[in-house]
Amino acid sequence: MSAEEVYNRIPMLRAERGVSRKELAAALGVHYQTVGYLERGEYSPSLHLALRIAEYFEVPLEVVFSLKPFPRLGSEVRR
Amino acid sequence: MSGRKSLRQMSWAELKRMSWAEFRQSGGWAEFRKMNRAEVMQLDMMPAWYATRERRRWLAGAGILSLALQWLNAAVSWAVEPDGGGGWIILALVAITMVVYLPAVTLMNIATRGLVELAERHLDERQVGERLRATTIAHRITTGLLAACFVAAVTAGMGGGDDYAVPERTVIMLTVALAMTHFVLPLIVSTWRLPDPLPDDEE
Repeated sequence: MSAEEVYNRIPMLRAERGVSRKELAAALGVHYQTVGYLERGEYSPSLHLALRIAEYFEVPLEVVFSLKPFPRLGSEVRR
Repeated sequence: MSGRKSLRQMSWAELKRMSWAEFRQSGGWAEFRKMNRAEVMQLDMMPAWYATRERRRWLAGAGILSLALQWLNAAVSWAVEPDGGGGWIILALVAITMVVYLPAVTLMNIATRGLVELAERHLDERQVGERLRATTIAHRITTGLLAACFVAAVTAGMGGGDDYAVPERTVIMLTVALAMTHFVLPLIVSTWRLPDPLPDDEE
């Protein structure tokens, strides 16, 4: 695992809002494969692109991106 | 398949499924020719050739083979005399090189979606970054090749005596080999490095 890995919730946000990879890519002005690589964590976006992704989903940046893995759904309720 | 959908909005798979009547209804060749290179590169043409990393590396290997053949041709042009049948060997090698080079370069350009070929305005930040990385790696390899050429020329010159001369045809072949290497190596590097794309979530 790379020390510079940036975790993201793009697939979750996309699924929740019913947005396809191609639609998100078109809205952001990037290639749809770039969205795929972002989701898989194989590409870390520039600050500009990260801010535009957060703006697209209308959520704060830290909801979409994190330097630590996001907790699994329901794990906080169990604690 | 809707006849109203423009050819520009279709994927290669959709285009392949169309009948000739549907193709003509959507604008036919007149519409197809209006597509610019950037749009053609996004069509996912002949995906079976570059669907897996292994196949893409075979393509990159074919590109390397075509370059190696051109370098071999430069060496052959030095070793043989064109009058003694050597001209035919050189021509045959050029023909074999082109048979490998042209399809390999076309398929690598399609596989990388024009990463090296297209103008920067057609690429996003990931693609621009990847192109820079591929160009940097290719630049290092080309520098090594130039150094090897220099060492080979100096070594041959030292052992060649007073009447030593490199034939003009060899200089031309070496220049072509270097130009081809300089031109196509970034494409080979980017094809070699290309990760598997995620399956399209709309299909």
